[in-house]
Amino acid sequence: MTSNNLVYLIALPLFSSGFLMMLGRRADKWGHIFATLISASAFGIGAFEFLQMLARPSESRAVTQKLFSWISVGTFQVDASLLLDQLSISFVLLITGVGTLIHIYSIAYMSHDLDRRRFFAFLNFFIAAMLLLVLGDSYLNLYVGWEGVGLASYLLIGFWNQKPEYATAAKKAFIANRVGDVGLSLAIMIAFATFGTVSFAGVEEKVSGASTAALTGIGLMLLLAATGKSAQFPLQSWLGDAMAGPTPVSALIHAATMVTAGVYLITRSNFIFDNAPTAQLCVVIIGAITLMFGALIGTAKDDIKKALAASTMSQIGYMILATGLGPVGYAFAIMHLLTHGFFKAGMFLGAGSVMHGMDDEVNMRKYGGLGKLMPITAITFGLGYLAIIGVPPFAGFYSKDKIIETAFNSEGIKGLFIGGAALLGALVTAFYMTRVIILTFTGAKRWDEKAHPHESPFLMWGPMAILAIGSVASGFLLSSGNRFVSWLAPVVNSHEVEHAERFQPVVVTTMALVAVLIGVAIAIAKYRSDVPRVAPTNVNIFTKIARRDLLQDDFNEAVLMRPGQALTNFLVATDERAIDGAVRTVGAVVIGSSKGIRKTQNGFVRSYALLILFGAFALLATIWVVTL
Amino acid sequence: MSDTPVLQYSFLAPILIVLGGAVIGVLLEAFAAAKRRAVLQLTLTLGTLFIAFLSLLRIRNLTSAKAAMGSVMIDGPTILMQGTILLIAFFAVMIIGDVDNFTAQASAVPGSDEEKSALQAGRQQTEIFPLTLFAVAGMLLFPAANDLVTLFVALEVLSLPLYLMAGLSRHRRLFSQEAALKYFLLGAYASAFFLFGAAFLYGFSYSVTLSGIHAAVIGGTANNIFLLIGLTFISLGLLFKVGAVPFHAWTPDVYQGAPTPITGFMAAATKVAAFGAMLRIYYVTFAEANWNWRPILTVIAIATMLVGSIVAITQRDIKRMLAYSSIAHAGFLFTGVIALNKAGLAATLFYLLAYGFATIGAFGVITLVRDSSGEITDLNRWAGLGRRSPKIAALFSFFLFAFAGIPLTSGFIGKFAIFTAAYESGNIGVVVVGVLSSAIAAFFYIRVIVMMYFADDNGDSLTVVIPSPLTSIAIWVSGGVTLVLGVYPTPVLNAINTLATFIR
Amino acid sequence: MNSANYLYLSAMLFTIGAVGVVIRRNAIVVFMCIELMLNAANLAFVTFARINGTLDGQIIAFFTMVVAACEVVVGLAIIVTIFRSRRSTSVDDASLLKR
Repeated sequence: MTSNNLVYLIALPLFSSGFLMMLGRRADKWGHIFATLISASAFGIGAFEFLQMLARPSESRAVTQKLFSWISVGTFQVDASLLLDQLSISFVLLITGVGTLIHIYSIAYMSHDLDRRRFFAFLNFFIAAMLLLVLGDSYLNLYVGWEGVGLASYLLIGFWNQKPEYATAAKKAFIANRVGDVGLSLAIMIAFATFGTVSFAGVEEKVSGASTAALTGIGLMLLLAATGKSAQFPLQSWLGDAMAGPTPVSALIHAATMVTAGVYLITRSNFIFDNAPTAQLCVVIIGAITLMFGALIGTAKDDIKKALAASTMSQIGYMILATGLGPVGYAFAIMHLLTHGFFKAGMFLGAGSVMHGMDDEVNMRKYGGLGKLMPITAITFGLGYLAIIGVPPFAGFYSKDKIIETAFNSEGIKGLFIGGAALLGALVTAFYMTRVIILTFTGAKRWDEKAHPHESPFLMWGPMAILAIGSVASGFLLSSGNRFVSWLAPVVNSHEVEHAERFQPVVVTTMALVAVLIGVAIAIAKYRSDVPRVAPTNVNIFTKIARRDLLQDDFNEAVLMRPGQALTNFLVATDERAIDGAVRTVGAVVIGSSKGIRKTQNGFVRSYALLILFGAFALLATIWVVTL
Repeated sequence: MSDTPVLQYSFLAPILIVLGGAVIGVLLEAFAAAKRRAVLQLTLTLGTLFIAFLSLLRIRNLTSAKAAMGSVMIDGPTILMQGTILLIAFFAVMIIGDVDNFTAQASAVPGSDEEKSALQAGRQQTEIFPLTLFAVAGMLLFPAANDLVTLFVALEVLSLPLYLMAGLSRHRRLFSQEAALKYFLLGAYASAFFLFGAAFLYGFSYSVTLSGIHAAVIGGTANNIFLLIGLTFISLGLLFKVGAVPFHAWTPDVYQGAPTPITGFMAAATKVAAFGAMLRIYYVTFAEANWNWRPILTVIAIATMLVGSIVAITQRDIKRMLAYSSIAHAGFLFTGVIALNKAGLAATLFYLLAYGFATIGAFGVITLVRDSSGEITDLNRWAGLGRRSPKIAALFSFFLFAFAGIPLTSGFIGKFAIFTAAYESGNIGVVVVGVLSSAIAAFFYIRVIVMMYFADDNGDSLTVVIPSPLTSIAIWVSGGVTLVLGVYPTPVLNAINTLATFIR
Repeated sequence: MNSANYLYLSAMLFTIGAVGVVIRRNAIVVFMCIELMLNAANLAFVTFARINGTLDGQIIAFFTMVVAACEVVVGLAIIVTIFRSRRSTSVDDASLLKR
């Protein structure tokens, strides 16, 4: 099947982005509305295609559109073609739907910013690039979108250049992503060398004839790419710092869509991973490590956005873990991705709403008792909270529970380990998310006198409410009657494989719920007693006392927390010393050698001539040696 | 018995037209009124290049013809490279046409009264135009040369005018003169090596034609030591021209000191000509001796990519940074040379076209960023340029993206094609180093963009001058070509693929 | 006389020239060293022509002389200009451009 509408999905936002940039200040008055309408119309096209797709039988649901022949080098031919199938339509609806809501939200959130039009132009550019990423029908087309979203993310992290941390944040994101991009380009090259083509369909067709070594190589390189873009271990460190960007950006790019590109990449490449068990095992391990890593970091963050970012990292860990579980896992990974898109974007917007009311304060220790003053924010955030910790019948319960269950039931001893990790992750998630809720919305107020918390305007709480509805209902809608699994089945080739089930679903669900209850209980026990009694007149002293108390708490009271905290510290230290250290060392070596070589450039023409003479000798000697 | 020499004028037409234009230009210097000279020269130069391009189009279907008694080979690659050089030169001349960049009187001592009065009288050193044409003629001949004499003469015809042009900057005259001196001494040094190598190749094969040398290489009975010396020193001359490590030392100094439009012209066009000649020599003459030169050229390719990318990181001057970037690009181009297959040839030709236009455009933009004392090349002072002049900064960022090889720019397709070719030929190590150094290189390109858009405006007196119509045509066309080659390169790639076969 | 000896002489002249460029400071002398290298190459051409009995090499020698003459014109122009601004012909003085 072909369709002629796909190109408009990308062309509309791309055009609008360029249009807004070109018009400059002239478009300041209406640019944001224009961009929002464009985003909404992209959603309209997506919804239209979705309805058409529903009407067709499941095996002929995919549609393609060939735009033009892009590269033909020798025998190598890449068409710029778009592919819309069950997997990509899920993303298209998420990107344009959540994207449009965040556009609407940003109209109000950015209303005081002089550069609001530029912000919307960047947002539209991001939408276009992200749609290209999920609609490209070959790895090369995907790569274009991949770089595009990286650029958009980079531009938007650094959007507020008055904040000093933007430089390091943007640089860090850049380096981590660059390492990942090298992985993707190497994967493309190996794929081309192995299969002679880089289109998804072409590779899938020829995958059975390829050696396991080549497939493992491609798989590992794709995984490296995914770890960079999706902030997975060991390239995770940039995500926390990326929170320097405006909050709507954090919600759209660094929670709902761009960071999940790695999950998309692995799911899209299912035919490679299913035939490369080693690579698949690495995927599971990376996912398990990251989900614990993120969750533990989440317990130690006072910055509300960074706590949410750590949680994003952890939740994507769940998705990556699920994609590593083979054909059964892909659908659950994508399902969790969709539900996560709702509740995490909702919570980020909630955090933005809190910040909006609190003069951009991000330290949760300076919140407290906001629930009464910001009821709508509190309710929508609370619904997201229930969804993320996995309380039935909220969205996260359905998707996360399935992942834990599948993890437990995967073969061998591996199943127990990763299932255990996923379960423990659920416990820690419940703990730190409860902490966020308690510190922000309940207890006594701890904010500055100057702050006047107030509920945000309709343009902001409207999108939050819609996302909250999503966080309530999407899980049930997607999972009832195994609907999403069978929807995605043609793409990921999941023929029903009956595993010897280690645990009955009921058992797993019960365990998960118990873990969640324990996590919530610890958090309540720990932070309820902490509600400060000191009057908020002398804020600075209070803050100090609160900090010191909390430190003591950590050492004395929380039995669970102590090893957790130690581990967190260790991980953070490892992160800083080993990972950042490695990045810094590489940087230092590069810059050091750069300075070293620069010294040879001493400005004297005679020493240049000497270098040439020396080169002549070296050239002569080498050719001589090679010849003899 | 002697043959009457036959020159086949129509095959040589592009070269002869450019040379003729240059000679007329010299006459104009003598006879035209000083006031009208600049306009006349500019018109003449652009017209000459245009007509030369038309005459090249007339012979575009020749894929195997010899001219001038076999001294000049007209085949597919020749046509492609001459076309690239003429196009690049055409747009480069548009930027050179902004004569504010050049000294009023080259012979005047910097800072002297003589110089001041020349400036006040509005005198212009319009010799720059015929010099450009002479250089272009040499460049057209260099990749087409089919024997040692023609090769050497072409090398000198393209180099000598460039030495002079490097010294004609209006501002920072001492830098410019020093650049000319360094370029001249080192260039002459390298061409002496080249000539010595040519002598030994002649001694090796007793033939001056490339096909004769090729026959001797295949025959394998001749003195191998002579081949060794000849091959080494010929390679040295070519490696110097493209700025390969360790023969690169002149590049940053000369690029920085030369007038910016000239830097752009020589960075783009000289590279095409030198790589053209290099491709012909390695692909046609020494292909069968590749076990001799391929290992060392691989090492040089790797060293060139790494040194270029690494040293560029710590540069503070934008022209110097682009000079190191051009060294790194020479390294990328080498991966196409050592691929030694048709894909490698086609990829190299495409890369040269893509890189040439991006370079012209980038240096064109640099000529626009000035303060009262001339161009500003200190990177720190470019801070906040994105806010003052968003369009120009965006265009410059786009060229940098092309250098970095970001998709949707010509640089991406070029890198992709060239690495694919190298990979297919089995040089995996080179490809890995290539990808790594592209990653390093991306860092300093992006740093400039960050500087322009995100760094605080330091309240500098820097301004972006309104480009003259010709300059703005040149930079926007360069940007357009860079975009088109990145988005829809297929027609160009197809054309290159059909033509990219060397004839012996 | 063995014509190989002319090749040795040529190689020696070339080496003297190549080393001279590196060790001499005066721009004119450096330039003369380069001319010496060119002439060494000429000698090699002529010798090879003589060994083989063809004329090509001798003709190339004339071409080289013409080119060398052009090089002198350009080179002296550049050196004289820089001498006028700096009052020095030492190539080491011209070292503003570096790093």
